[in-house]
Amino acid sequence: MFRGFYSVASGMIAQQRRTEMLSNNMANANTPGFKADQSTLRAFPEMLLQRMDKLDIPTEKGLNLPITKTVGAINTGVYMQEVIPKFIQGDIHETNQKTDIALIDIDIPVNQETGLRGSVFYSVQNPDGQVRYTRNGDFTLDGSGFLTTASGLYVLDEQGNPIQLSSDQFVVDEYGQITGQNGETARIGIGYADNPQRLIKEGDGLFRTEDGAELENAFNAQGVQFKLQQGFLERSNVDVSRTMTDMLTAFRAFEANQKILQAYDKSMDKAANEIGRL
Amino acid sequence: MNRMMITSTNTLTQLQKQMDTISNNMANVGTTGYKRREATFTDLLYQQFNNQPNENNEVNRLTPNGIRQGVGAKLGQAQLVMSQGAIKTTDRPLDVAFTKENQLFKVLVQNDNENNVYYTRDGALYLSPVSEDEVMLVTGEGHPVLDEDNNPITITGDTKEYSIDANGRLTASKVDGSTETFNLGVIQINKPQFLEQKGGNLFELPTNFAELGVNEEVVFTELNGGLRNQVGLQQGALEQSNVDLSKEMTELINVQRSYQFQSRSVTLADQMMGLVNGIR
Repeated sequence: MFRGFYSVASGMIAQQRRTEMLSNNMANANTPGFKADQSTLRAFPEMLLQRMDKLDIPTEKGLNLPITKTVGAINTGVYMQEVIPKFIQGDIHETNQKTDIALIDIDIPVNQETGLRGSVFYSVQNPDGQVRYTRNGDFTLDGSGFLTTASGLYVLDEQGNPIQLSSDQFVVDEYGQITGQNGETARIGIGYADNPQRLIKEGDGLFRTEDGAELENAFNAQGVQFKLQQGFLERSNVDVSRTMTDMLTAFRAFEANQKILQAYDKSMDKAANEIGRL
Repeated sequence: MNRMMITSTNTLTQLQKQMDTISNNMANVGTTGYKRREATFTDLLYQQFNNQPNENNEVNRLTPNGIRQGVGAKLGQAQLVMSQGAIKTTDRPLDVAFTKENQLFKVLVQNDNENNVYYTRDGALYLSPVSEDEVMLVTGEGHPVLDEDNNPITITGDTKEYSIDANGRLTASKVDGSTETFNLGVIQINKPQFLEQKGGNLFELPTNFAELGVNEEVVFTELNGGLRNQVGLQQGALEQSNVDLSKEMTELINVQRSYQFQSRSVTLADQMMGLVNGIR
């Protein structure tokens, strides 16, 4: 059987995964606080190819010994190994709405291990009472005056409690201090992840930690500088032209794989129908 | 199955809804006291594929095992923006404009023998005759404007001049020298997200506050008695809508391009499926 037959098939699957991921990025080009995904492709484990040969020894009767010679390494396919969210800052967009608060990174230390910058997040509470993290600052107030995300999850303060306000006339300073109309105060809870790539994307703008542990309080973290800005939103960090280009590249790679699959098919056609024809 | 198709179609329908919101805003750019809505997106759920069964072979990964793929975006919320509209001077005595945000007139609307109190920012008021020598203060659509005690405002006799002061006090000076005064009913809305647009430039508030678990006083305050001085009105002017046409237009272009991008994704997915079909 042709070894490459399945290699190109895996190539097609990998490129399809890539286009799927890219079309999700494109779909979220207008989602506030969305972090674009990037993919890495990885070859299947390396295999060592050997050639079976024989060694002729010049004796009277003619003696040969079976030997194997190393041809080289081969990978029999490719797969999409990872989808890595890109945590760089999105553009800041003015909305003039008091319930829109953008989180702006000023200087966040670089993680020594990954060489990438950390990131800060709003902490919100999901319906099961667990803490989730988001960059989407498109908030609103619910009926009881709690500050919530667009889908109604409570935005938490530093102590992990929901924030209740008397009206939508409140002020948020750049250090996350909220002051309501009747003088009630709270400080928005911001979590700091030094290696945000380890966070798991859940959808609805939410991230969770792998083991369910809470992130470190960003206000107390060493060397982490960021600010909050009321009346602004952080836009998605998807670059549409790059995404479109990547999508076309992936599409053409898919097409090339398909062409090779056809070529293999033709070889098989010859093997099946033409060899031995008189 | 190619997931691009489902991702794109999910997003296409939601983009269509955003376009609806924008076109409604644009249609009401000339509506007195209209408040725009602003739609924002959020991403849809992610699905994890555990396509790497052997974790030990996965060296140098940045992310936790498995790959997580999303399925598009949805409309997160369409928030009512209560910001102040521009004031246009008309010099018509019965045109009044609110100069403060979140204040609304009370209007009586009859629906199927039922009287409901609705709210509006539209200050283009008119007089409608109710009897031989009585006129009633109404909105452009003929709904009676209420005073602070929720009664329609009826003025008797021949009136020479109407004046409305900054605190919503309507004074009708009669031909015979006497005057009649009314306090226009005004509420201050503390939680604008409870307002529901009813069409005809009217807002409605829910009546089942107890069921919703909120206090009526928390949602809105009637600006009566001592609170009258918080009312901000200007006579002889109208509040224009707070729609910024150029901003809406920019948004529309943006949405339309997103729509095109999503359609392209569908086309690409279709072509990919065509390629698969064409393998043999």
